[in-house]
Parts: sequence; structure tokens; C-alpha cells
Amino acid sequence: MSNDRYLTFALGKGRLANKTMELLESIGITCEEMKDKESRKLIFVNEDLKLKFFLSKGPDVPTYVEYGAADIGVVGLDTIMEENRNVYEVLDLGFGKCRMCVCGPESARELLQHHERIRVASKYPRIAREYFYEKKHQTVDIIKLNGSVELGPIVNLTDVIVDIVETGSTLRENGLTVLEEIVPLSARMIVNPVSMQMENERIRDIVTRLKDKL
Amino acid sequence: MNNNLLHTPEGVRDIYGKEFSDMAYVEDKLGSRIDSFGYSRVQTPTFEFFDVFSKEVGTIPSKELYKFFDKENNTLVLRPDFTPSIARCAAKYFMESNEPLRFSYLGSAFTRTDSLQGKLSEATQLGAEFIGDPSVFADGEVIALAILSLKDVGLKDFRVSIGHIDYFKGLCEEAGIDEETELELRSLISGKNRFAATNLIEEKNILSPYREKLIAIADSFLDPYSLSKAKEDVTSERSIAAIQRLEMLYEVLRRYGVEEYVSFDLGMLSKYNYYTGVIFRVYTYGIGKPIVKGGRYDNLLKHFGKNAPAIGFGLQIDDILEALNSQGAELPEAEDSIMIIYNPLDIEEYGKALDKAQELRKQGKRVILNAKN
Repeated sequence: MSNDRYLTFALGKGRLANKTMELLESIGITCEEMKDKESRKLIFVNEDLKLKFFLSKGPDVPTYVEYGAADIGVVGLDTIMEENRNVYEVLDLGFGKCRMCVCGPESARELLQHHERIRVASKYPRIAREYFYEKKHQTVDIIKLNGSVELGPIVNLTDVIVDIVETGSTLRENGLTVLEEIVPLSARMIVNPVSMQMENERIRDIVTRLKDKL
Repeated sequence: MNNNLLHTPEGVRDIYGKEFSDMAYVEDKLGSRIDSFGYSRVQTPTFEFFDVFSKEVGTIPSKELYKFFDKENNTLVLRPDFTPSIARCAAKYFMESNEPLRFSYLGSAFTRTDSLQGKLSEATQLGAEFIGDPSVFADGEVIALAILSLKDVGLKDFRVSIGHIDYFKGLCEEAGIDEETELELRSLISGKNRFAATNLIEEKNILSPYREKLIAIADSFLDPYSLSKAKEDVTSERSIAAIQRLEMLYEVLRRYGVEEYVSFDLGMLSKYNYYTGVIFRVYTYGIGKPIVKGGRYDNLLKHFGKNAPAIGFGLQIDDILEALNSQGAELPEAEDSIMIIYNPLDIEEYGKALDKAQELRKQGKRVILNAKN
């Protein structure tokens, strides 16, 4: 019965998707259609294994998986935390490693010590709010920015920022530094709770084989 | 004309035509099966005092409730869930009774949903609650009732996954895990977040063999035959009792003839402290969330002053319809109406048309009487 059904993967566009496909290839799951860079297809199919793949913007991956439009998704932990969807997080894929941090000029370090009301810029308002309210018990004004968040403290829009730090070079070039680390990040595999029940064997098989490769 | 007048707010909608009749069909099928088990229908108020749905009672976070105030400034809440209302109602009217009580309900429930997620704020819920019987036969009755009702509406390919909270709690007790860690672990395991659970367990220096056993819970999907194997793995009395309960429950469900739908998942732990024993969910293809949720809540009625065990289940009619539609199930069409045309300028002809219509209506036909243009 379940063999007639396709398992659908939603992958976050870009490097993450490429890395994921490499990893899947190592356990014998391939998708030739996807390698054709000219293709304008949105959905790629592997008929032999009854698998489908599609690429989407990172923040949409948990949405597709929550609603069961995709059974399995691969996306960064930052997105999973920010979207806060009802999905099972089954595997740490180990790549795309970076950190979610509070950053700012060295002079702002003092502001994080005394529960003072400060302004925080971030692309991740939920993560920022949770960190300051639940962990630090500090009241903050969160300002959502959509990119180049580092500008916040530089142009005096905010005191600090909450953002992803990979190497820290952008920060350094702009006179900012990591003040506190919130959580280490990496790519995760997420699964729809219903799929986990209904397609348990197939999904568990994939997870176990991937786990052995990591 | 002001077109804004035509819109409904996000999360609520009009239901009419085919959708209405489909919903009515599903409600009727589910309802009559539940009636056949002798559950009496109750109707509780649409809004109640906030305390009925407070943190200690409900499963819905306070910020997701629709709240407002009455004349005396009491906080009122549009019901997000029927179970606390039914518990309150049962405690109020049957305080002295030790008889088992069986109730069913059907109505709208309201939750504030995040915007732009396509979730309904008002949804029709249906469910059954069995109060006053702590036994495995009560567990079996409620789960079998859920299964039989779903079969009645024509749902195929669904699966009931059953867990027992005490398996996990027994392990935690034995491993000496404090309450805070237990709650955290519980939320990680119910999210099947195995590696975060592993990290937490390592961080808290939980020793072998509990370490491995706790981690293993996260993906313990079991068929009924491996249940007894799981029992051999544990030493805690509480955990063993949980497995024995599930084994017995399987036997009860076998007698109902519904065992083919059943599987076990010891990692199914609700995030909330609401459920106290058996917990179950029904999953099916074509819809990304459980279509039925239920379980035993032996402490809830205590909150309302009546010490009585209880078990129940609830579902959303929309979810059942969505599942039926995506499985291509054919719901019966509503019977067509017969149209009779009369001439509005001729009272005699109108009289004849009316007689005919009344005659047909008496025979149980649907008849529309329309004027000729």
C-alpha cells in the first residue's frame, strides 16, 4: 500500500540543498532531474524510489512539512526555531554549522548585564524575543530587519543585533563583536508527524542510513 | 455598495451548499455511532469563566484564547476545547454520583491562530467523554468508539497510535530525574528530537542504562507483538504496569475487532500535563496532523471538585472532511428538491400548486414552490 505513495522532500534552496543531495547520493538516493541546471521544473521525481523533491525558500520548508505537503524537510535550525512549527526534528545533518549570537559594539556588553531595556535588531524576532524574555529576563524592543542586520548598531538604530555568525568577518570589518552565544546551529532533517506514523518504515530507513554516514 | 461588508475576518468563514451537507453527513454518522454506545449529548455554553480553561486545566495556552469581560469584570473565554467544560458540567450536576457518565458534544470551538497560516479560528469539534471508569475496558470502549465512528464515515487507511505516559514517567523516576528536566525531556521526546534529548540526558549526567532507554523512547514505534519485548527492557514497576495496561488494552480492542488499526508509540507524550495514562492519536494519509486526539485525564475533574477518572477523544469535523476528500471518498449527495412553478396572477392555480407541494412534502420530499417569471 505505502509503496505506491511518493515520499516528498522539501529542501531549503542553495548550498543546503546541494549538500543534502550529496549526502542522499551517498546512501543511494539520487535525483538526476535535479542536476539539470537548465531545468525550470519545480518538482523533481525519482520514479524508481518513488521520491519527489522540491526546492523552496528556507523559512517555507517547515510550513510545507507541517501541513504534510512535504513528508521530509531539510533546513537550518535557525529557521526551525523561528518558524516554531509542529514538526519532528529527527536528525542533525552536521553541515551548515554556525551560531546564533547577540552581537554589537564592545561598548554594548554592559547593556546586557542589568536587565536594562534595550533595542535589538534581528531577522529572527521570535528567537530574539525568546532569548531575552525567557533566558535573560530582560525586556527588549525588537525591530525586525530583513537583511544587513549589522547596520542596526552602526547607524544607531539599535543597541545590539541577534543574527547568525559563521566566521565573524563581517562583524569584525564593521567594528562589531559577538557578545553572547544563543545557540549553535546546523542543518536538520524534519519530518511531518503524520508521515512519521504512516510511512514509518521508509522514513526510519532513510534516517538510519543517513545516521550511519554521518 | 461597500465591499468591505462582504468579508469575514481571517480564520472564520461561511459554510453553505455542498460543504454544509458534507459536514452534516459526517456529524450525523459520527454522532449516531456515539449515540449507539449510550453517550448522552450535552451542550455547554459557548463562553465560560477563564478559570475553566486556565493553565492548570487546559491544553491551550492563555494567549491563544479569545477573552473578554462581563459586567463585573470577570474574564470570560470563548471555549477553545470542550473537555474542561464537560468536566465542569459533570462535576456540577453529578457531584454525588459514582455512576459512570458518558457524554458527547458537538459545537464550535475558538482559538486565536497566528495570522497567515491558513488555520481556522472557529472550528466544529465533536467528541465523547467517558467519566467515572478507571478500567482498561473504558480505555478500550473510547478508542474502539473512535475507530468505529471513523469507519462509519467511510475513512480508510487510518492508524491509531497508542502510548502510555507512565512508561516514560516510570523510567524518569527510576533514573532520578527532576521535574524540570522531565518536562523538558518530555517535550523533546514528543517532538522525536532524539539528538537534543541525547544532549540533555548527557548534560544532566543521567546514567546508563537509563540513558539508552530514555533515548530509545523517542523512536519506539511498536507493533503489538514487540510490546512485551519492551516490557523486558524495563525494571520500573510503573513502566511495567504501563506496558501491561497496553497489552490488556490491545486484547480489549481485539475483542472489538478493530485491532488492525492499532499500533503503539511509547514516545507519544503530550507536552501538557493534562493526560495521565493512555494517550492516543489517529493518523491518516492526506492530512498533515492527527485527525483524532484523546487520552485519559484522571486528574481533571478533581480541579472542579469531583474526584473521578475519565477518558475521551475529540476531533475536528473539518479535518475529517479534508481527509475524506483527499482520499477521494464519495459522500452522498443531498437529495434534489422538486420544483413546482405557479402563476402569481392566478390564485386558483397557486392553490393547486400548493396542494401538490404539500402532498409531496407529506411524503417526505423536498419541494420548492416558485413563482413563474
